[in-house]
Amino acid sequence: MSDKEVLIQVENLEKSFGDHQVIKGISTTISRGDVVAVIGPSGCGKSTFLRSMNCLEEPTGGRITFEGTDITDEDVDINLVREKIGMVFQQFNLFPNMTVKENIMLAPVKRKKMTKEEAAVKADELLQRIGLADKADTYPAMLSGGQKQRIAIARALAMNPDVMLFDEPTSALDPEMVGEVLALIKELAAEGMTMVIVTHEMGFAKEVANRVLFLSDGLIQEENDPVELFEHPKNARLQDFLSKVL
Amino acid sequence: MKKKRRLPKGWNYILLLIVCLAAVGGIVSHNYQEKQKQEKQLNELKKNAVKGVKDLDGKKIGVQIGTTGDIYASDYEGDDAGTVIERYNKGTDAIQALKNGKINCVIIDEQPAKAYTEKDSTLQILKEEFALEDYAVCIDKSNTELKEKINEALAKLKEDGTLQDIIDNYIGEDSVKGTKPYKAKDIKRNGVLKMATNASFKPYEYYENNEITGIDVDMMQAVCDELGMELKVEDMEFDSIIPAVVSGKDDVGAAGMTVTKDRLKNIDFTDSYTTAKQVIITVNPEASVTTSSFAERFHDNFIKDHRYQYIVKGLQNTLLITVFAVLFGILFGFVIAVIRTGHDKNGDFPILNAFCRIYLTVMRGTPAVVQLLIFYYIILVSVDNKILVAITAFGLNSAAYVAEVVRSGIMSVDAGQFEAGRSLGLSYAQTMLSIIMPQAFKNTLPALCNEFISLLKETSISGYIALVDLTKAGDIIRSNTYDAFMPLIAVALIYLVIVMILTAGVHVLERRLRSNER
Repeated sequence: MSDKEVLIQVENLEKSFGDHQVIKGISTTISRGDVVAVIGPSGCGKSTFLRSMNCLEEPTGGRITFEGTDITDEDVDINLVREKIGMVFQQFNLFPNMTVKENIMLAPVKRKKMTKEEAAVKADELLQRIGLADKADTYPAMLSGGQKQRIAIARALAMNPDVMLFDEPTSALDPEMVGEVLALIKELAAEGMTMVIVTHEMGFAKEVANRVLFLSDGLIQEENDPVELFEHPKNARLQDFLSKVL
Repeated sequence: MKKKRRLPKGWNYILLLIVCLAAVGGIVSHNYQEKQKQEKQLNELKKNAVKGVKDLDGKKIGVQIGTTGDIYASDYEGDDAGTVIERYNKGTDAIQALKNGKINCVIIDEQPAKAYTEKDSTLQILKEEFALEDYAVCIDKSNTELKEKINEALAKLKEDGTLQDIIDNYIGEDSVKGTKPYKAKDIKRNGVLKMATNASFKPYEYYENNEITGIDVDMMQAVCDELGMELKVEDMEFDSIIPAVVSGKDDVGAAGMTVTKDRLKNIDFTDSYTTAKQVIITVNPEASVTTSSFAERFHDNFIKDHRYQYIVKGLQNTLLITVFAVLFGILFGFVIAVIRTGHDKNGDFPILNAFCRIYLTVMRGTPAVVQLLIFYYIILVSVDNKILVAITAFGLNSAAYVAEVVRSGIMSVDAGQFEAGRSLGLSYAQTMLSIIMPQAFKNTLPALCNEFISLLKETSISGYIALVDLTKAGDIIRSNTYDAFMPLIAVALIYLVIVMILTAGVHVLERRLRSNER
């Protein structure tokens, strides 16, 4: 593992909202090809931790380095960094005033990564791949939750990111739609996409991740490969957490 | 989604038809009932009519605001007998009030009084005159050079009889009246002389065939011919004339003005060019009621002398002002809204935001009509184009309201939309423009529509800066025909139709924008 290229380096990350400290000093490393699952009780700072990695939440302490650049530095063009970090939200956040295809094409064209024509070809490819080619010209409001989330993933992939962040991608879905989204994420993992996934799906985390972080009280309480972590938890809080969710 | 029961298509046209029919019905029945009502009213009026100057104590006296009639009559105000002075913007308004029994008499200059009473047998001028006075042209105190030149010209015109001819042409004996129209000389002209007047003061200044004419206009034209200048006449409220001359908007004021002590405090006068009397108009005790038919009244108000052209021109101006003020308001309002939300969301642009807040407070905290006057007389003094002034004033006013509407629209877009845009690498501006604004616009469309409807109606105060908009056009007709009903109803109907068309248009747009939400 240690000889792999480091993509994200997190050092002593802290984040407070007013007087309330949510993250109290997290350090970890995400290397190319890693699939890291982040689990933990609600309110433990999982989402804040994830959102800090593309500066949607501005850290109040510590440092995050992405591909050698300190992204907490104010002089860094955060937009250039975010182009390489795809993000998928719990609530999909598709743009309701645009068609599916326009949703996918918007960022590559606006950020001048592709011409309109290239972006259209790319969007068609992605839609083909997620099996929603027939939905290209419909509006998000016409789609099911599972379809929306797959399109949100395609939208993030359109920018050819180096890493993908998933913020509880299945939590807002009806149970029968969870499978299709997880299957897509699994496919990406198999292709070697680097991913950080905040999730409540323990089975999925165990199956797809090569590393699991257990967060509680704003700190990483335990970090290990999934088999070890789920089958031989050492931390008392993790044991307690697993006993409740498994 | 459940299917809603809808009114049949075109319901709004049916509604409009009903309103129009109701209005026409109203006019007809108004006409029909009028005779009886008027007879009753007239008897009442005759009873309270003023019979002489001594009789004024304790009566209600109507005057045109700022005229010498107003100044003299004010001596009676607050006396023990409880005399009340009612001040009107126009002589015609005072006459109408007299006919409606709101006041007992009108004190006004003799010549316009003749013009009013000639057309209306129910009114008469009392033989006993109220006061004698000299008319002169007012001019700014610093402008002594022009004053001297005008005085010289006036002296020459008096000497060669031109001035007398001009006066005779309007108010001379019947044998000479209308026989000596003054014709502007064909000479080379250097520079413009702008004259402020109040064109509802026949025969000194009034509208005929869509142009301002009268003794004062011809007299000033003759003066300009002597000076070799071009004359430009601007119509405004009487009490706006002196401020317009003092502020430099206009060079001189000629509107049957008498030299008084109070006026001399602010302004200078040329030599007098004619004398006139202040007289008292009352109800004629021998009067009987005559009413004209609906068709006659329609003809009088709109067809005769091409009076409909006032309405056409006024409508043009109203639409012009509204359309450009709306565009200006949207543009500027969106900019303010973006600054304000940028500040609310992430503390950007603190200084700009402070400016915006002051701007909003001032614009929303003062009446539009006051803002319009401030723009015309103080801020944009050097701007000649009144439409431009009106567009600026209404646009800036509207922007303040649009800004708050749009800001609430932006706030109503889910925060996730913003995050999604930023997470894809879009900049703040790109996210705002491509993602947030289109959604905010859709959310605020009904409120924006409301704002534009009120803006359209608000432009009706344009008359305050002597701009002939739709409302002012109706006023001009009213001051010519002394009929309040026809022009006002016509103007009201036109506003109504425009608003209905606007509402229907926004409705269609809204439906199109909502098409992606099901």
